[in-house]
Amino acid sequence: MSTKHSIAAAKFVANKKQAAWHNETLWMVRAKRDKMSKDIPEWEQLRDLACNIKLYSNSHLEELLQEFEKNATANGAIVHWAKDAKEHNEIVLGILRDHDVKHFVKSKSMLAEECELNPFLIEKGIEVVETDLGERILQLMDVPPSHIVLPAIHIKREQVGELFEEKLGTEKGNSDPTYLTRAARKHLRDKFLNAEASMTGANFAVASTGDIVVCTNEGNADMGTSCPKIHIAIMGMEKIVPDQESLGVFTRLLARSATGQPVTSYTSHYRKPREGGEFHIIIVDNGRSKILGQPDHIKTLNCIRCGACMNTCPVYRRSGGYSYTYFIPGPIGINLGMLYSATEYFDNLSACSLCLSCSHVCPVKVDLGEQIYRWRQEMDKIGKASKEKKVMSAGMKFLMERPILFNSALWMSPVVNVLPRFIKYNFLNEWGKGRELPEFAKESFNEMWKKNKVK
Amino acid sequence: MNSKELILESIRKHTQTKYEKPELSVDAITYPDKQAKFCEMLQFVGGEFLILKEGENLNEMIMRLNPEAKRIGSTLSYITCNTFNPDELENSTELNGTDLAIVEGLFGVAENGAVWMDQNVKHKALYFISEKLIIVLDKNKLVNNMHEAYRQMEIGQYGFGVFISGPSKTADIEQALVIGAHGPKGLMVILK
Amino acid sequence: MMKIGLFIPCYINAIYPQVGVASYRLLKSLGLEVDYPLDQTCCGQPMANGGFEGEALQLAKRFDNLFKDYDYIVGPSASCVAFVKENHAGILAKEHHECTSSGKIYDICEFIHDVVKPTKLNAKFPHKVSIHNSCHGVRELYLSSSSEMNVPYYSKLRDLLSLVEGVEIFEPSHVDECCGFGGMFAIEEPEISVCMGQDKVKDHIETGAEYITGADSSCLMHMEGVIKREKLPIKTIHIVEILASQL
Repeated sequence: MSTKHSIAAAKFVANKKQAAWHNETLWMVRAKRDKMSKDIPEWEQLRDLACNIKLYSNSHLEELLQEFEKNATANGAIVHWAKDAKEHNEIVLGILRDHDVKHFVKSKSMLAEECELNPFLIEKGIEVVETDLGERILQLMDVPPSHIVLPAIHIKREQVGELFEEKLGTEKGNSDPTYLTRAARKHLRDKFLNAEASMTGANFAVASTGDIVVCTNEGNADMGTSCPKIHIAIMGMEKIVPDQESLGVFTRLLARSATGQPVTSYTSHYRKPREGGEFHIIIVDNGRSKILGQPDHIKTLNCIRCGACMNTCPVYRRSGGYSYTYFIPGPIGINLGMLYSATEYFDNLSACSLCLSCSHVCPVKVDLGEQIYRWRQEMDKIGKASKEKKVMSAGMKFLMERPILFNSALWMSPVVNVLPRFIKYNFLNEWGKGRELPEFAKESFNEMWKKNKVK
Repeated sequence: MNSKELILESIRKHTQTKYEKPELSVDAITYPDKQAKFCEMLQFVGGEFLILKEGENLNEMIMRLNPEAKRIGSTLSYITCNTFNPDELENSTELNGTDLAIVEGLFGVAENGAVWMDQNVKHKALYFISEKLIIVLDKNKLVNNMHEAYRQMEIGQYGFGVFISGPSKTADIEQALVIGAHGPKGLMVILK
Repeated sequence: MMKIGLFIPCYINAIYPQVGVASYRLLKSLGLEVDYPLDQTCCGQPMANGGFEGEALQLAKRFDNLFKDYDYIVGPSASCVAFVKENHAGILAKEHHECTSSGKIYDICEFIHDVVKPTKLNAKFPHKVSIHNSCHGVRELYLSSSSEMNVPYYSKLRDLLSLVEGVEIFEPSHVDECCGFGGMFAIEEPEISVCMGQDKVKDHIETGAEYITGADSSCLMHMEGVIKREKLPIKTIHIVEILASQL
């Protein structure tokens, strides 16, 4: 009955110390978010508005994207359209080759991960440097991110210390976060100064002005776009918002939900290319337009990639990002994976107790848990339902549809109590991993009622 | 059909319910003392503030608070303590090694200690590249929240604009907060 | 006089019949006409949560029929009640069958708190208890304010317990974090489920309480499993057993 997730999660949680640290650290981020949200009396009103703005925007994409393109182009930006990941990568390569770029700096973009841009460019001989500290650490370690906002949350400071000692020449045995961050500053400052082009993602794209808005804390996106003169901004098309007034809603929700800050250190609005430079914007589809045709799942397009759902998810906190098979983990990852390819990513559906905390914490009211429940109903149709679960369900159904049989089962069930341990726990092996079985009552409620014992 | 047309066609084909644009009226939080809240939040995010008192000299205060700053850049006409004018530099990369940059903000936001600037210097790197940044702000130009902030900004005016709230920071190593990542390690807003 | 149909979930029937008995006594003590339609089996939730909603169709029909003549359906399980309320209408609609249960079904705590509204109870339980706020109870039946939302605090379970003489009420620090039962989840991801259970029990123990109490025997059963395996110094008890303690 195991899934790829349950197997990987079992390994993660077996390392009790690491799992407890991961769990508590992410809970603290959730707690910081709670504190921030309680300081805003109109918080729930903002969530409603954000959800409705997104539903409006994503159901008017044709008009809004064209309005955006018109305004961005009038501002001097060059707008490209990429129907899929392959085309996106080729457009980026084309721009870099046109300008003979050998040194390329990037700030964090989940879209770039989705398109697998880095390996593509590196293979073509371009140096790609991740400039977000967490992403740079992972790049140097050659491992993927495990959280969309806190990508290196699973890495301990000692590991970073050892890594930097090897790659950046820092002091042996020094794992002080401030010391290591300063070393990274120096190392990446060099990269910013010598790069020929930079890339950012887009948190929001404003249709009425042609602005690309990027929210960061480290200053890496801004250093990247302030040194080299070519800026490539890439956006999933669902990032579009109608006007600047909408930004008032989203900028109040984003950082509070993501990291428990009132706002990110930098909320940059890119409108025109720099003097003597170029500003390219790539609008990417890669399956998003198809999601529009699935009303049960359309709210996933609301997502502003804050990561709050991961921080609250009791399963993610105890299993880590690597136990999910899709590159984005946690509740939103489960849903995005199913939308991208249900037959490839269904293993992640087991990673959920349907507690619905995610749906309640989501700043844009994506019905994350409810959608997972609906996806589970789809599994049999796509031939991916777990055989054991199917047999158990059918068995339960058989039993429950026949009250006489159910009552007999109730009558017989106390027998289970006295079975030898090894039989009990082999049969219900999975329950027995850490729990004792409940004891069946000597007389069921049904029997007591029939014998007039309920008074 | 080119990609743009393919994408727009796919959108058209798949879009089902057309949702209405919501009315954007929020009972947003306001503060009885915007300046006090602004300063409180600025400190909360790791920044510092200074309220210039009657008779105090801005340039003297800056020098007094930053004795170790050797290379000071500013384009502001009323700043005399700077050692160079960033607008005279050819390339933004030449700004590297600036100890202190002094710039001017347009307005501040009380709920999060942010200051809005739209670029009125030759190199926007000036806002990010120095070790420390000072933003001079008229203390009467404070709004309560981001809704009010966005209503202030006029369309078509800027090529680049940014809300800056505190110094650069990161918590990417074990969630341990480190002030000063790739941008300035310190930020001070001087309210005058 | 309103006629109440007592809904006894399958696992309460088999494992915790005393919760059913306490429910009956409690409702009778409040002057209500209570009946138990015979031969109830299951609401269908275990199958549905596992992905086999269709298997619950006959059960949903049966349920609707069994309870059609009652004014209210009341049961001692927030989880099962929430399932009937949220899902039966949709399941039955697939066969164009109108669901009459979902509009009149209540968890027993919800019912007593919102409909009966007693100002006192004949109950005494001089012990420290920690309230277990189950996920379906909080986020589907609104038995208490969810910790994620910025809404004023309220707790129907706490309100009811405060009518009990001698009881001292606590809540764990992660006030409504999932205990890890989740139905099929408990055996599909047993390691995570057990870890969640262990963390939750530890959180309850840290309040200093002698009992964990709540509106869902499924959660209590899962935590009880952990408690017994690790021989931990806390017990579990369904809240209706506390409310009916003197009856």
